Amino acid sequence: MIEKFFNPNSVAIVGASPKPGKVGNVILANFKRRFKGRIYPVNPKHEEIMGLKCYPSIKDLPETPDLVVIAIPAPKVPQVLRDAGEKGVKAAIIISGGFRETGTEEGKRLEEEIVKISKEYGIRILGPNCLGIYDNWSGVDTFFLPDEKMMRPPKGKISFISQSGAFASALLDWMAYRNIGISRAISYGNKIDVDDVDLLEFLAKDDKTGLIIMYLEGLKPGRGRLFIDKAKEVVQKKPIVIYKAGKTSRGSTAAASHTAALAGNYAIYKAAIKQAGMIEATSFDEIMDLSKILLTQPLMKGRKVYVVTDAGGVGVMLTDALTMEGFILPRSPEDLKQELRKVLPPHCIVENPIDLTGDTDDDRYKVVLDILLPRDDVDAVVVGALPQVPGITPKLADYLAEARKYGKPIIAISIGSKEAERFKDLLEDKGIPVFESPERAARALRALYLYSKIRGVARE
Amino acid sequence: MVEPREIILNALKEGRKKLLEHEALEVIKAYGAPIAEAALAKTPEEAGEIAEKIGFPVVLKIVSPDISHKSDVGGVIVGVDSKEKAVEAAKKIIENVSKNVPNARISGILVQKMAKKGLEVIVGGLRDNIFGPVVMFGLGGIFVEVLKDVSFRVAPITYEDAYEMMKEIKSAKLLEGYRGQPPVDKKALADIIIAVAKLLENNPEVDSVDLNPVIAYPDGAVVVDARVILKQ
Repeated sequence: MIEKFFNPNSVAIVGASPKPGKVGNVILANFKRRFKGRIYPVNPKHEEIMGLKCYPSIKDLPETPDLVVIAIPAPKVPQVLRDAGEKGVKAAIIISGGFRETGTEEGKRLEEEIVKISKEYGIRILGPNCLGIYDNWSGVDTFFLPDEKMMRPPKGKISFISQSGAFASALLDWMAYRNIGISRAISYGNKIDVDDVDLLEFLAKDDKTGLIIMYLEGLKPGRGRLFIDKAKEVVQKKPIVIYKAGKTSRGSTAAASHTAALAGNYAIYKAAIKQAGMIEATSFDEIMDLSKILLTQPLMKGRKVYVVTDAGGVGVMLTDALTMEGFILPRSPEDLKQELRKVLPPHCIVENPIDLTGDTDDDRYKVVLDILLPRDDVDAVVVGALPQVPGITPKLADYLAEARKYGKPIIAISIGSKEAERFKDLLEDKGIPVFESPERAARALRALYLYSKIRGVARE
Repeated sequence: MVEPREIILNALKEGRKKLLEHEALEVIKAYGAPIAEAALAKTPEEAGEIAEKIGFPVVLKIVSPDISHKSDVGGVIVGVDSKEKAVEAAKKIIENVSKNVPNARISGILVQKMAKKGLEVIVGGLRDNIFGPVVMFGLGGIFVEVLKDVSFRVAPITYEDAYEMMKEIKSAKLLEGYRGQPPVDKKALADIIIAVAKLLENNPEVDSVDLNPVIAYPDGAVVVDARVILKQ
């Protein structure tokens, strides 16, 4: 299986190089820094690189490596792959470009040749024309972007499958900068062998992965139904947030029927995403917004949402945004109003959205949350705590974190400058996702509700 | 009755890229979709007899492998309400077609029961090279042509999927009835969507299907026009 791509005991790096800036140099340095297993540089021009003995060919290695990483010009790849096959290698990541993606006859021929060799020897291939794998647990890191250019994210529960190498590296860098943890990231390029279906299967079983992000341009012909069926299984265990790139219609292809003319590529993918129970992100912002709510929040049982805020305007904006996403913002029932009036000063508004007003302190939030969250008619609470008001202190973050004990989603929005950012970091460290606008918060909560429905937890 | 598979294979053998209309209707009916009753007449006299058997009013349509826009060549006459008029209409159609498309082969004239007024919808299907059989649902007329308000599912599908497809279109409220109309029969529409899915799943030679229009009623629905395109 493809386990060895992620957890090899030994790895050979073909094209390893002592020259800074070379792909084979960066990859070897990556492995040296983090990989715990045995590393074999392969390059006929050198005897030693970075203090490691270098071998002229895979055939000369003292053992059969679990994984071979190939970073040499495309025309030389078939021979190396053959050597690997002779040696008994079962997994290879081909970083090199210069295959079918070039659109040339030669590129196509080379790709067909490596497909043939891999089948002949039973070698599983990731790539070619890809960044390969970044595994935060085993230290496998074939992303040939040096550490000083692309930060590596901390360990976390998110795994990421990307058809685009550039997007994968940009996202990792972005996440690292924001201290968002990653488990494993995969860029599969031309995917002549290992594809989305294989990777979903692997990540589904992987207990270090709690959520999967996919950046998809297109599946391989004939794999669509299998992809849906596999994803359907996976989402019963962990959410898949998918971004489908290439949404524009292929419309103009001479269509013999009405239906064919209407069926843009994206229209069918959209249907497939829905059928599989994946959560679609429609923008870059959404990829992260949806991921963080799905990763941190419990599933919700229904659509009844209460807003608690210290700013009336934000309360109204949230009400609009949430309603537009299909949520119900119930009017506070009489018993709730009475209970709230007992504990809040008379100028506070006990109708939903509950407005604690600008003179609020942290404690008003605490008492309100303790009243709201245990109620059966409350499915989630959105906190609009503008940190600019004088009475809000870091203690509020502790209160919100404490309220997680009620097992219902609690999310917050925070708008502003440095203080708002600090407050956001504080909350997110404690597992309360914070959004920068009411609209983004509402979209994210909508995704959580959809996923709760997929998991059979939420009512209509 | 001829097996649907036989109809498809026979058309391929004859080198045709699509089924003739009566064949398409027959195939879709075999998969469980209700159709507006129809039969192929070889002569004007036969058209009269069929019309009488089906019951009036009927519509007469030219059936030819060489004509796809039947109305444009005078190949369709609607609202025919007696046996004599049916014979006349058939003669008129043959005359129109011979004049407008002199070289067209004529397979016959389809005599079909005129469907009562109802809500026009479209059900379609196609074979996608990545996902395989895919089905489509939408409301007819401007909804599909201008607004492209349609929904898709990858086959095989369940009834639940079919109901979701109906809910998903932006104009879904029209299915619930408006201006005092009762809602349309969604089970009947689901039957038709599932029939298209099965037709595509069971016959790899079929490339795409258009059932346009399908007329939906509070009790039932009928396929009025069917187009089945075969793989080249």
